[in-house]
Amino acid sequence: MTAEAVAAPAVRPVRPRGPGRHALALLAPGIVALLLTYAMPLVWVLRMSLNESGEGGLIRQTVSFATFAEVLSSAHWWNVIGQTVELGVLVTVCTLVVSYPLALFLARTTSRWRGLLVALAVTPLLISSVARTFGWMAILGNQGLVNKTLGELGIISEPLQLANNLTGVVIASTEIYMPFAILAMISGFGRLDPELEHAAASLGAPRRTVFRRVVLPLTLPGVLTAALMVFVLSLSGYVTPRLIGGGRVFVLATEIYDQATTALDWPVAAVLSVLLLALFGVVIAVYLRAQKVLEARFTGPQGARS
Amino acid sequence: MTVRRTGRMPWAHRLGRAGWAAVLVALYLFLLAPILVVLVESFDDATYLRFPPQGFTFDAYGQVFANESFRLGIQVSGVTAAVTALLAMIAGVPAALALTRLRFRGRSAIEAAFLSPLLVPHIVLGLALLLILAPIPLTDTYWGLILAHLGVTVPYVVRTVSAALMSADPRAEEAARTLGASGFTAFRRITLPAIRSGLLSGGVIAFLLSFDETVISLFVSGQNTVPLPVAVLQYVEYRSDPSIASLSVLLVLLSVVVVVLVERGLGLRRSLRSG
Amino acid sequence: MGDTPHLVLSGLAKTYPGADGAAVRGIDLTVERGRILAVLGPSGCGKSTTLRLIAGLVAPTAGRIEVDGRDLTDVPVHRRDMGVVFQSYALFPHLDVARNVAFGLEMRAVGKAEVKRRVGEALELVRLGHLAGRRIAQLSGGQQQRVALARALVVEPSVLLLDEPLSNLDARLRSTMQDEIGRIQRETGITTVFVTHDQQEALSMADSVAVMNEGRIEQTGTPQDIYERPARPFVARFVGRANMVEGTSRGRDGERTLVELPGLGKVPAAGDPVETGRPATVMLRPHRIALAAAAPESGGARGTVLSAAYAGETVAYRVRLGDDGPVLDVERPTGSEASHGPGAEVALSWDPEAPRLVADPS
Repeated sequence: MTAEAVAAPAVRPVRPRGPGRHALALLAPGIVALLLTYAMPLVWVLRMSLNESGEGGLIRQTVSFATFAEVLSSAHWWNVIGQTVELGVLVTVCTLVVSYPLALFLARTTSRWRGLLVALAVTPLLISSVARTFGWMAILGNQGLVNKTLGELGIISEPLQLANNLTGVVIASTEIYMPFAILAMISGFGRLDPELEHAAASLGAPRRTVFRRVVLPLTLPGVLTAALMVFVLSLSGYVTPRLIGGGRVFVLATEIYDQATTALDWPVAAVLSVLLLALFGVVIAVYLRAQKVLEARFTGPQGARS
Repeated sequence: MTVRRTGRMPWAHRLGRAGWAAVLVALYLFLLAPILVVLVESFDDATYLRFPPQGFTFDAYGQVFANESFRLGIQVSGVTAAVTALLAMIAGVPAALALTRLRFRGRSAIEAAFLSPLLVPHIVLGLALLLILAPIPLTDTYWGLILAHLGVTVPYVVRTVSAALMSADPRAEEAARTLGASGFTAFRRITLPAIRSGLLSGGVIAFLLSFDETVISLFVSGQNTVPLPVAVLQYVEYRSDPSIASLSVLLVLLSVVVVVLVERGLGLRRSLRSG
Repeated sequence: MGDTPHLVLSGLAKTYPGADGAAVRGIDLTVERGRILAVLGPSGCGKSTTLRLIAGLVAPTAGRIEVDGRDLTDVPVHRRDMGVVFQSYALFPHLDVARNVAFGLEMRAVGKAEVKRRVGEALELVRLGHLAGRRIAQLSGGQQQRVALARALVVEPSVLLLDEPLSNLDARLRSTMQDEIGRIQRETGITTVFVTHDQQEALSMADSVAVMNEGRIEQTGTPQDIYERPARPFVARFVGRANMVEGTSRGRDGERTLVELPGLGKVPAAGDPVETGRPATVMLRPHRIALAAAAPESGGARGTVLSAAYAGETVAYRVRLGDDGPVLDVERPTGSEASHGPGAEVALSWDPEAPRLVADPS
């Protein structure tokens, strides 16, 4: 055995450098895949939004903001944007309200069924949203479970309009985004510790005060993350508005699809997409700002740790 | 002195707890309502959707397989999902390896780039892919669908496999090196077995995501190559009968079986989190 | 101060449904005003549950809790007026140091100006006045401990409860905080109960110590009582190190009982007398046994050194008595005397107060 063999150290170099040959080779397939199937198509959308649509579905290649101007000056499109945001806000608020108690329960329970209960709460994630939306059609429709039951009980004589309108879309979307919200909340409730609630109680706080002064502030970051997620998902949701909306709920997602495939007006579809992305950007910027403010309460204004 | 005490809880407190439990049960019911309804409907013997169901039959399950577009849809989705999962693994696993085990400048930027498709709404990606695939023309083909699904599945593979790699202790690999294993042998003998379940979940997640993908597929599929979710969506829009319910139940069973198999290997929840 | 019962627990018990046996199986304890009681025991002995019962965080299945003669058993935790310092400190991460300390005062609807004054005083008491504006995440473990103390004390509770107060600190900080808690307790004169698994902590900080095992109190007494005169084998073994030698009583010898021990002959031992002919257990602390090189013909206890482990200030020996007698642990200071290597023949001696009879439970 030679001296070198004995001394060969298992120390890896740590100085940062550009992606070496190894890293590049490993990253190449992924980068190619993402360029082809994600980056390039998105650039195409941006490019398309600067074109104009001509007569009879033709596209006039140009670089102008004419299509943007056309869309933004139309009351119809502002209406769609408004309804998109309205739906997003309604769904987000409803989802947070119904998810919070469950998430709080799941985060705090010490039951031995906890694993099962968490699984039950997130199982719907694994089930196609088309199938779940179909379930809601069977519940909310004029011949659906709710109207049949209420009718037979003699509570209503006319069916309640729960489908083919915004109400139905909000109800179904709320359920569809609940598992996302619950998961985001549970993983954001890390600061919640039963001992903190005990400490507050031992200092004289009744249950309601413990909730308001300790539990709520500690769970707010998780709620905020869940809110972002649900809002973003519902801004771009397509299946539920289309199926439950029954062609009467117009949001950006349904309109992008119609413009692209029925009206064949690709520049307008691209402009609507860019507007949707811009909306996303605004929402995420607001979220990051709010998160920073919230986090400062835990780590101090300078964010220093000692 | 020893005084036996029972029923010490004040009644108001007990009432509060009962109310709380009722709220939780109601919320669970709401959450699971559509799935329960679909399950019950799938056994109805009517040819239209009604509630409550009157008869009990497996007929609707037979209709699923009698329906040409569903049969074709299962085939299209199955093939697309399998090829997509394979390609996503080929693209994603080496990337995850580079991102977790190598240090280089711009690593975090590249990592962010790999995860960024998760932030882009599918409706926009769908349009984008339509714009780029239509002129080639690859819309309404298997390859079009596969390419379209690749962008949204690679990030999940990267994330799942990275998580597995990060929880595998790199010192175990170093220990193998000190015992005389070459770099490749150490990886193959020590790290690979440790992340096997992570690799499996990455592949399964990619498969399920592709199999379930609706919105992007709507844009890039046409009359000939229609994946199952699109076929179902188009069917539901104009008709409602128990066969859709039966199909949904079959799909639920498929996901549950797959997930249970994977969950025994590695937590799927971690990969779905903030997805 | 002292001598008047302040906190009284009688027959306090907590059973958990489904669990084997009880977490706390009926304990009686009295703490006098202004004194410190340590509840000492191994983990899982029920000491933390006892503390949570006193605090009101756990409802007892039987028994009662009184403070100043007032029955608090059914008073909910938030009206019980106990200051609790949790093992994890349980500081509110979303509030700064001053707001943490002010929390209890705000619950008591104390006026703003007074809150400010009392928070300032409490922080001065724990010597953290300069950190009032800090976030909890910016504090060290020792500082968090002080904030927890200030937060518990600022409301002037009737009793201060500390759950393993020093277990999360490193060894050096632990002795500093031990002194600090002692100083703060003397300055405030508050009746204090603390729970610990560390016998040194219990002996040095407390006025009285209750040793718990398997949900019961084995012995209550002053630190001297517990260490010098353990009532049961468990106490002798758990508090300090002890050799327990089993033998047979051979009647009285004045104040003491003569016990026939294998390899040692008849040894007089102090403690509650045991009837002649009955089995008796004698405790001998390792550091109270002296060793000398055995002279060929001298009488008394003799043994063979099995091993000698040098530990800086002391040498720990294991010595077999006679030819096949029991093995004793012996601890001798280093430096002043000759050491004995393995195999050495040694004579053992001790002062007559050292051997103690320890009653078996039953």
